[in-house]
Amino acid sequence: MNYAEKTDVVIVGSGAAGSLMAAKLAESGKKVIILEAGPERTLKDLTSSQIHARRLKWSGDLVMENGAQPIGNGFNSGYGTGGAALHHYAVWPRLHAEDFKIRSLHGRHLDWPISYDDLRPYYDRIQQEVGISGDSQAEVWRPDGADYPLPPVPAFQQSEIIAEGFKKLGKSLSPLPLALNSREYMDRPGCLWDGWCDAGCPTKALANPLAVYLPKAKKHDCQIIHDATVTRVLTEQNGKKTIGVTYRIKDGIEITLMAKMVILAAFAIQTPRLLLASAEGGLANRSGLLGSYIMSHAAALVYGLFEEETEPYMGPTGGQMLNQDSYDHKDKRPQGFGSYQWMIAQAVKPNDLLGFGGSNPGIFGAKLTEFMQRAAQHFGGMTACVEDLPQRENRVSLSSEKDKFGLPLASVTHTSHKDSLALWQGAKQEGMEIFKAAKAEQVWTGPLGPMHLMGGTIMGQDAETSVTNSYGQCHDIDNLFIAGPGLFPTSGGVNPTFTVHALTLRSSEYILKNWSSLT
Amino acid sequence: MKINRRNFTLTGGALTLGFLLGDGVISLTPAEAKAQNLPFHRLTKNQASLIDILGDAIVPGAKAAGLSHYIDHQLSVRHQDNLLILRYLRVNPPFDGFYSASLQAFEEAIQQRYHKEPSDLTEVEISDFITIMMQKNPEFWSLPGHEAPPAPFFYFVLRSDAIDVTYSTMEAFDSLDIPYMAHLEPAHTWEVSPK
Repeated sequence: MNYAEKTDVVIVGSGAAGSLMAAKLAESGKKVIILEAGPERTLKDLTSSQIHARRLKWSGDLVMENGAQPIGNGFNSGYGTGGAALHHYAVWPRLHAEDFKIRSLHGRHLDWPISYDDLRPYYDRIQQEVGISGDSQAEVWRPDGADYPLPPVPAFQQSEIIAEGFKKLGKSLSPLPLALNSREYMDRPGCLWDGWCDAGCPTKALANPLAVYLPKAKKHDCQIIHDATVTRVLTEQNGKKTIGVTYRIKDGIEITLMAKMVILAAFAIQTPRLLLASAEGGLANRSGLLGSYIMSHAAALVYGLFEEETEPYMGPTGGQMLNQDSYDHKDKRPQGFGSYQWMIAQAVKPNDLLGFGGSNPGIFGAKLTEFMQRAAQHFGGMTACVEDLPQRENRVSLSSEKDKFGLPLASVTHTSHKDSLALWQGAKQEGMEIFKAAKAEQVWTGPLGPMHLMGGTIMGQDAETSVTNSYGQCHDIDNLFIAGPGLFPTSGGVNPTFTVHALTLRSSEYILKNWSSLT
Repeated sequence: MKINRRNFTLTGGALTLGFLLGDGVISLTPAEAKAQNLPFHRLTKNQASLIDILGDAIVPGAKAAGLSHYIDHQLSVRHQDNLLILRYLRVNPPFDGFYSASLQAFEEAIQQRYHKEPSDLTEVEISDFITIMMQKNPEFWSLPGHEAPPAPFFYFVLRSDAIDVTYSTMEAFDSLDIPYMAHLEPAHTWEVSPK
């Protein structure tokens, strides 16, 4: 056993939550070490290729996926510096007030232990720090909050054409709020609108961890150790306090890193896996809910070919326009229960899962050649981000199979709630009607695609019904925190990364304010 | 230094791989590897031929674009460097078995159905077969002792591989009249792990 010098804080994972937490704690004088299981990545690794971009996705320990609608870990998780946020599309809407109080308002599922009003100031501060491009006035559905610091993304031909369908059906539209610079902001350049977000943005126009928070953390002497797989969270004998972690480096050598505080930000699968493997019955698992309530938004994919040229290769990968008409009043949908939003006019490339070549797999041979030529100039698409209702039986557990270090692999079971599936069906139907109203020559839809990972270490009011409190502090261990989308008790119908940032900022201030008593 | 497409030198091909040749590694596109008839390292000649026959029927141009060499190359590298679309699709690595079992099923189903080799199929015959395999397992697809992945899944994967190799290059973008607009051009050699 090798011992490293004791540190104030060890953070497991360098993604959206880990990098922000590291920056805030390091800026306040704490000695912070990040342990990242994947390899080091720099901006120069972010080559503009849908094939090369696959390197950014998960290639760590196998994750066994089960259930009727598997969560798609291979596509949704990241691997290496920046985690999943390195390839994220920077679509940053806020959760709505209703998302926090579903049980109180509708008598089903779960409440968050905080309200929108509790989180609002953190959303406002993060958007100022990071920079979000958007039009808050045009977002008629948006909960109260400060105006965006940057003007909205420009509308390219694709969004103008699809917008006609929304208008004809009397639906609202706004620019999509994006953590992507519409002009230079905070020493980061404006976007070039060439649709390579998914491959990782090397220009720093998109707010990924390499562009925003990791440089701040490093500036204050935060150290990142790559290829470091944490195998156990260590506690005092009575189990009341964590004292650090053990991790293994590439050659298998095990190192013990003692720390005054441990923060797990290893995403929704690996964080519960690590806690489950750290003690008999799982660490910080008095509730028995460790690993439960795993969620993944259902993507409703609608595609079309239009007579006009659409320039489908221009713009951000996440889309250009937003519609949230089917968001509030979760019980008022024509079918199903929950919320969804449309992200409209994504920039697409010919290949990859979300490329136009893969959108219609029934076409092959000479017809595919014709289709590729036509789609390159006339394709349009939009995606509904459909709420995944939380269910206890959707969970991360430990597999009987183990990794090369003897740590049990994660097994994840996920089957969508019937009301979520109905909502997804309804969204697809609506999307097809919108495209027909926009005079698409052809309209088709894709299969249910899992999008984003949330839950597994949910926050709540007490130790009987949740793993952590609203700050991500484990109920059972004062100096053990969890950060990231794993804390979400419900998924809402919006992309999670903005909320991850707001929650993490709130947690970091709680930690700093209570440092003495926590450690 | 700020990085954007204006101050990065464009260097040429967008899908250059490092191919083992003798004791060395050379950088070629899959199409160049195909044209030079480089030896395969993980696929047999027959498997490579089956990939080209089926892949080219699904995505015209895939054979010349070097589909079989592309797949062979990707099967040769470490999992975390493997860029096949399979890594997204809940198939556990190594992926060799997925391709070998599927290709064997394809070959046997063709032989049983048409009493000839896949290379002798007419355009109509292979088109009819693909129409079936995209929807369900064709007759004789998965024989006892030779269990194979579902035919529609293999179709989807091979189609995606073929689109990757045929339509991801700068030249392909150009042929579709799409500006590539790279920030960083993916022109570096993809290392091949030593055997």
